[in-house]
Order: sequence, then C-alpha cells, then structure tokens
Amino acid sequence: MMFERLIPHCPVLAVMTLFLGAFLTAIFGRSKAARRILLMLASLLSSFFMALLVKPVFFDGQIISYWMGNWAPRAGYAIGIGFEVDGLSLFFALLVSLTVLLSNLYSLRYIERDDCGDYYCTLALMLGGSVLSLVQTGDIFTMFVMIEIMTFACVALTAFRKRSEGALEAAFKYLIVGCIGSSLVLTGVILLYAQCHTLNMAQLSALLAGNLTPATVFAFALLLTGFGVKSYAVPFHFVAADAYMAAPSSVSMLFSGMVNKAGVYGVIRLCYIIMQSMRLPALQTLLVTLGTLSMFVGVTMALRQHDFKRLLAFHSISQIGYVLTALGLCTALGIAGGLYHAMNHTLFKGLLFLCAGAVWYAAGTTDLDRMGGLSKRMPQTCAIFLIAAFSISGLPPFNGFVSKWIIYQATFEKAAEGGGFGYIVVTVVALVTSVMTLASFIKVAQSVFFGQERPELAHVREVPLSMRIPMWILAVLCVVTGVAPGLVLTYVVAPATYAVTNVTGYINTMMGAGYAESVMTVPAQSIPVDASFAGYYSPVSWLILFAVLLLAFALVALLGKGSRGAVCQDDTGCDDKYAVFFGGERVTRSTVAGSDLFWGFRYNFRHYFRWMGNVHSGVVNDYAAWAVGAGAVIILYLYALL
Amino acid sequence: MKHKMKTRSIIVRCGSGQLLPFAIVFGLAVVLFGTISPGGGFQGGVIVASSALLLTLGYGYRTAHDAMHPHFLHSGEAFGAIVYVALALIGLLCGANFCRNIFWDNGAPGELISAGTITFMSWTVGFKVLTGVAFLLLLLLGLMAPDGDGEEDDET
Repeated sequence: MMFERLIPHCPVLAVMTLFLGAFLTAIFGRSKAARRILLMLASLLSSFFMALLVKPVFFDGQIISYWMGNWAPRAGYAIGIGFEVDGLSLFFALLVSLTVLLSNLYSLRYIERDDCGDYYCTLALMLGGSVLSLVQTGDIFTMFVMIEIMTFACVALTAFRKRSEGALEAAFKYLIVGCIGSSLVLTGVILLYAQCHTLNMAQLSALLAGNLTPATVFAFALLLTGFGVKSYAVPFHFVAADAYMAAPSSVSMLFSGMVNKAGVYGVIRLCYIIMQSMRLPALQTLLVTLGTLSMFVGVTMALRQHDFKRLLAFHSISQIGYVLTALGLCTALGIAGGLYHAMNHTLFKGLLFLCAGAVWYAAGTTDLDRMGGLSKRMPQTCAIFLIAAFSISGLPPFNGFVSKWIIYQATFEKAAEGGGFGYIVVTVVALVTSVMTLASFIKVAQSVFFGQERPELAHVREVPLSMRIPMWILAVLCVVTGVAPGLVLTYVVAPATYAVTNVTGYINTMMGAGYAESVMTVPAQSIPVDASFAGYYSPVSWLILFAVLLLAFALVALLGKGSRGAVCQDDTGCDDKYAVFFGGERVTRSTVAGSDLFWGFRYNFRHYFRWMGNVHSGVVNDYAAWAVGAGAVIILYLYALL
Repeated sequence: MKHKMKTRSIIVRCGSGQLLPFAIVFGLAVVLFGTISPGGGFQGGVIVASSALLLTLGYGYRTAHDAMHPHFLHSGEAFGAIVYVALALIGLLCGANFCRNIFWDNGAPGELISAGTITFMSWTVGFKVLTGVAFLLLLLLGLMAPDGDGEEDDET
C-alpha cells in the first residue's frame, strides 16, 4: 500500500501543508476565490495526513519518530531536530486538525464582510501550522519557536477587526502577557540546554529523571509558568477574556480549541515526561490548586458577564481548570478524564463560539441584553446551541457528562486513597462549578434564543449553509462522544493516556533501544492503573456524591443565613425589576431579563463579585504583574517543596 | 518631496549614498557564501535589508518606498519561504527525510557550489530575510514618517 511509506512523513507534511498554504495565500490571496481554495485545500490535505496516522499510532500503538534531514542521534547525543508522534501528540494534533478545518470552513462566509481577508487566511493557516508542529515536535526549542509563531499569529488575529471596539487593546494586552510567557519558556529552555547540552525532549527526559538540581528546578518552574500562561489558567487568564471577545468567532474557536490546548499539552509533556515529577505530591497539589481556582474563578466571572463571547471566554478558563485538575491527580483515571475533557472542550466550546459567531453574523451583536427570541428566526442555530450548552453543563446524554463524571470519580479516588480532605473540596468545587455553568447557559439561552423577541431583530435570518455545516459536524461529534464513551475511551483516550505514562517508550523510540535503561539513574515509574473507581455507575460513589452534595448545600445554606430578610435594605444594586425575587415589587408589571435570572445569587455574593471585578481591572500592567507574580510564587513553591 | 530632499543634510545623504552599494554588495556576498564561510543567509539578508534604512536616512521615506516596492517585497518573502519548503521537499522525493541534503558530494569543499541543496536553501533564507526585513523596516518607517511622506494605504 502506498500510504505505508508515507506514514513516517505525515507529521511534517501535515505541518508543511499548512505553512505552504499560508505562504501561497500571501502571494495569491488578493483574489477571493484563490484564497478560499487555498485555505480549504491546505486544511483538508493537512487533516488527511493527520488522519493517516490514526491507524499506526492509535490502533497499532506505534510511536513515530522522524529526524529532519536524517540527522539521527550519534553516540547518544541528539543533535538533529526530530518529530516524535506518540498517542498524546496525535491526540492533540487531531484536535488541532479538526479545529483548523472547521474554523476555516466556517470563516469562508463569516469574514466575507471584513476587509483584509487574505491576511486572515495567511494568519489562520500560520496559527494552525504552528500549533500542529508544537504538539508533534520532539525538540524543546522547536516548541519555543512554534509558541512564538503562535503568539504573534494570535495577536494579529485578535486585532483582525481592528475597527471594532477593544480589538487593538485586547491585542496589545495579549502581546504583553503572551511575550512574558514566551520569555519564560525561552529562559527555561536555555537553562535546560546549559544543564543537559541537548534540546531533544526524549534525551532531556532520560537525563533529568530523578535528577532535580537547583538549576533544573528553576528551569522547571519557568517552563511550567510559561506553559501556564499559554493555557490561561487562573492567574494568567485575564487577557484570554479580552482576546476571545475581540477576535472573530472563528478565531475564538481556534483560541479555545487549540491554543490553550497547546499550553495544556506543554504542561503534560513537561510534568509527566520531561521532568517525570508528577508523582511528587507538591506538584500534584500545585496543579490541582491552579485547576480548581481556574474552575471556580472562571465560572463565577462568567455569571456576571453581559457579552456572549466574553461569557464563553470565562467558561473556557473554567473548563481548562477541569482539565488541569484532572491531570494534576496523576492517576490513570485522572489523566484519562483530563484528556477526555480536553477533547470535549474543543468540541463544545468551538461549537459555542461558532454559535456566538452565527448570532453576530445574523443579528450584528453579541450583547446579551440586546437580544431575545432568536429561536424562531434561527431554529438550527438554536438547536445546535442547546446541544453545546447541555454538553458543557454536563447533562447526561452529552459528552461533557462523561468527562466530568470521570473527573469526579478521579478526585474521589484520590481522596479515598489518602489524598486528604483537600480533594473532597476539589470535588465539591467541580460539582458546584458544573451547576453554575448550567445556570449561566440557561441565562444565555434565555437572553439570546428565548425570551421576548425584539422588534429590531425581526430581519434576522438563519446563517448560510457553509457556516452551519461545521456547526452540525461539531454537534454530532458532541453527541457521539457522549453516547459512545466506551469506544472513545478505548480507541482515542486510552492510547493517549498510555503515552503519558510510557516514558521509557518515548525515550527509546527517539534515542534508540536501550538508551533509557542505560542513561536513567532511576527507572521510569509507571502510574498504576486502578480501575476500581472507573465505571459508569457505582452505588457507593453515588452515595458519597449525595453526601458531599448535601454537605455543600448545607454549607451554602448556612453561609446565606445572615443576610436573609435583609435584602435590599440599602440601595446598592437594587432596582425595582429585581423586586420580584423577594416578593416586594412596587411596580405592577416588571419584566425579568435573561441576564437577571440569577440575581439572587449575584446579590448574595456581591462582595465577592465586586472584589473579582476589581481584580479584573483591564489594566495591562496589573495583568503583567499577576503573570510575573504568579511565576515568582511558582518558583518559590517548587524550590521550597521539590 | 523635492523640498524634503533639500532639507536633508548633504553629509547624511552622501554618507548613505556611499554606504548603500557597499551594504548591498557585502550583504549579497555574505548570503552567497553563507554555507561555506562565517555569516549565513540570515545575517547577509539583514545586511542587504539595511539598505532600506540607508535609503530612508538619505533620501526620505517616499523615495525608499518607491524604490523598494513593498508589495513586491511582501510577495518575495512568501516566495522565498515556498522555495525553501520546495528544496526541503526534494529530500523527501529522493527517498530520504524532509530537509535532507541532496547532491552534497558535488564540487570541491570550499567552492561556491559544493554543499548540495544546503547552498540553495541558504540562499533562499537570505532572500526571504532580505525581503522580509526590508518590508518590516519600510512598514515601521512608514508609521514614523511625517504627514504626507507616509503611505496612506499602509499594509498593517
């Protein structure tokens, strides 16, 4: 079969197709037809090359290594630049390919009213190529270069609608914080190179196993912070909200579908494979804390948003929190749950951003307070939105339920096997976050698709077919991954999970058989696979879940006790339209808008929300200070506890 | 435009006029011999691209803009990248890996054409960098150019 010989070349061909497409659109992109053809051709070819890899890597369990210019390692030193595609890389690479393909298909019509469409095509293909290369490379410096290309393509794409409000400002913030992240990664790479005299990740992994010197711990902290910035976990998340909101929706989909996945991939690759230190409880605590904070802060900030896309941006942060929490557990179940959730997040969040884009395309706004009743005008978009909203909220037949369920089980398991009280708190936060996610999507659905129809939106029509096709594809994938979790787990998530734990295989494929055993001072420790907590329905788990929920409910009820009956004694934040919530309405007819549905909750936690609002000041100096400060804390933390 | 040229110091103009051929010739030499001597495609390309800066210093932004054709530079950069990838793909067509050096054993070591496809790849890097950096320089100088001297429909 002719594809047999092609398979080792597929990773590099998939990347180069996208880059070639970018360069060709730079030359021929002035004609609309030419750039559309080039855009779709490049995305399709690249996806085809990635799809060829599914059989050997996922089904046959191979690890594909590829040396540029045949510069294979000599005498145990990897000098050449290599690509190494194991299950983990392919898992993320497929997500990237899918996101790029669907986003580009969507953007054909979506950006037709904007000028500079040729720049859009060039930058979107550049962004896709850089992230695809980032997740497949076996060379840590190539990773840095691709992070740089990714960051600058993101900055330019954020500012694509440069005349719309806030686009340039968001791009500037993104540039500053993104550059802090890239610089931290670069410094970490330099330190590792000075220590180990190699840039190959497999060789670094072999040399660094059980070898945490002060210099490498410093490098570890810098790299972890750098990848954290790229994944927009909580102290670094500020720019994400601005950027996702200002960018066109197809770009927001690229951001949340693959750019922050690139950060997550970096964290996994760094912690599990290069440093192999995930078994240290200190590191687990760090990642789980970051993840839990992201979950909670993201979802509570989302509850007070009045813009569709900004709300989605905060949910993106919140869902990445789930992924990081699950990956920080360092159990097989946790890794599987985290990866599954990363995949689901790409599917449903991409879909939600496309819905927001469809609403923008049809109605010209994403402001939740200025929409209503669009379900009659855009029935298909509404149906798709509901699928996506149910998925992200974790309702049972959809994919969000499966991955969140695995994550709850994983945190339970961790708590049960002596992880301590903290992991019970994490589980409670994860559950509460899920509930609040549902709440905020009820709010969105009520504001945008249901509720009272607005006269100024009477002209709204359903979006064109080429925009609906990618949305339907994602919607179908959301349902399929929800109703067939066994298949997805066996054929997609399990190989990726196995790759995370298979450090020796990763090293030996790249450096030659036997290299890991001869160089590593401590043998690679495998992560035990314990399936006792895995499974769909376990009565004991349900009982524990019930008890935990009861506890959480009691806690919330007790917290709210003091302020009961004292509502609206002061004038702050009180409007007659909120009076229906506590039966004190003076006006006879007041309408409750969609965004006011959860007013009681917002009112009771008003001090928290006000504080959070002040933290999200919108000043780029503050955001940079948060990023640098969090980096300093991570450095000190790792020095103190590793 | 002529007014602008008159207000510029004759020393700066003559200096840039004197340096311009040197910068271009020296830069191109560095690019050409990039594979077999110190320097390389990137460095040589940057030296050639500095001629955009010299032109602007001596003769004003408009002259530099008209002499350099930014649209041509923009397409040229993409063309350089495409040729680079095409040269890298030759390795793949010859049954080896991407970026594999082919014909590496032609010519005596030290001659201009002696290192196989690496020589041509180095030249394309030089071309890409000289067009790219010159384009960037013109773009940035266009932002700083005084009113009436800058390009109205700039490429940002």
